Amino acid sequence: MTVTAAITTTAATATALDALYVYGITPAGVRTPRAQGVNGAPVRLLTESGLCAAVSAAPVRLLPRRRDLSAHQAVLDELAAQGPVLPMRFAVLSPEAGVLRSELRSDAAHWTKQLDRVRGCVEMNVKGAVVPGYFAELVRRDENLRALARRTRRRPDYEANVRLGEALARSVRREARHAAQEVLTHLAPLAVRTVQGPVDDEQVLSTSFLVRSADEPRFRQALDDRAREVGDRLALSVTGPLPCYSFVDPRPAPAGR
Amino acid sequence: MITYDDDIVCAPRAGTLYDVLELILDRGMVIDVFVRVSLVGIEILKVDARIVVASVDTYLRFAEACNRLDLEHDVRSKTVPELFGGPVAATIGRAGARRTARSLTDKVRGLLTPEEETEEQEPLPRAGREERGRSPQRPRSRPAGRPRAEDDRPRPRTRRRPETEE
Repeated sequence: MTVTAAITTTAATATALDALYVYGITPAGVRTPRAQGVNGAPVRLLTESGLCAAVSAAPVRLLPRRRDLSAHQAVLDELAAQGPVLPMRFAVLSPEAGVLRSELRSDAAHWTKQLDRVRGCVEMNVKGAVVPGYFAELVRRDENLRALARRTRRRPDYEANVRLGEALARSVRREARHAAQEVLTHLAPLAVRTVQGPVDDEQVLSTSFLVRSADEPRFRQALDDRAREVGDRLALSVTGPLPCYSFVDPRPAPAGR
Repeated sequence: MITYDDDIVCAPRAGTLYDVLELILDRGMVIDVFVRVSLVGIEILKVDARIVVASVDTYLRFAEACNRLDLEHDVRSKTVPELFGGPVAATIGRAGARRTARSLTDKVRGLLTPEEETEEQEPLPRAGREERGRSPQRPRSRPAGRPRAEDDRPRPRTRRRPETEE
């Protein structure tokens, strides 16, 4: 379906020689990250109006390769370890250093305010997936499902099996969604802000939490407790601490993508 | 083979690069005077992230597993998860420990081409062709009177995609 359409999307554009790959914006005074940048390029800092932008020479072609995604992440991790950082999305380029400098200069107040909003905080991303094995417990508990299972066993034709399977799939999904709601209710009070990510039939929880660094142990403990509580229905996973990808606002009226 | 036991691993699994992909690719700032390079393959990734588990195949595997439960006594059969494969197996058993929608992970692996392939000019479209090549259309429905023996026959549990192709 959409796969074909995606293939015809424009290839990564060739970039001008003086274009810069931009990783993120920090307050001035941070150490230059030692991690290699995208395409192995060394990372340097551009300082302007009390702000720093971490940049490297833009690669001629840019693909979402594993090592480049990791490089983007590694540079931001190093910056985040030193203080607040506004992470850019992967693959954002500035046409040249002058444009970047004037952007920092003209909107210094905006960036400083944004930095203050994530200062001392980390992003924790929590995902939860349906645990299909829980169906056995549901069959044991739910008289209707058990009756359906018995009927299907007496007349095991294709349609009946599909109906039974669908009912079971729906039930484990519903249980997982309830569990996800429970998890949210418990974790949200420990966070400064939360942002929902995309969910589907299998991944029923995908939420980023902006957590004060000091509260991270408490957050993890709460998550562990929840995981034990709902583990039979919902498989939780956590990624973090991360640079606050989900808690920065792009400029008002951004160009988007 | 995944075995089902009551000693479920409940601790949240630590995330990987895959878990953070959507954040790196979809969140974070984009500034209007800057350029966001258009990335081949990202659209594929998003489509695959939405592959639903709700397929007839999954339903049949659920039913198959359910039909082996002892409905009158112990419904927590130890053999249940062995019947699952593909996306379902990815989450069954040691809950959490082995999670991550396999559909997504596999696709991401294909997308984030292994290092040795990264120098190729068009890794992503190539991956797309492969995907189509090894997914011959399977009929969505089977005759209702199909003998049970055939359904019980062990078959490869490789993930199939036709159900998601509209």
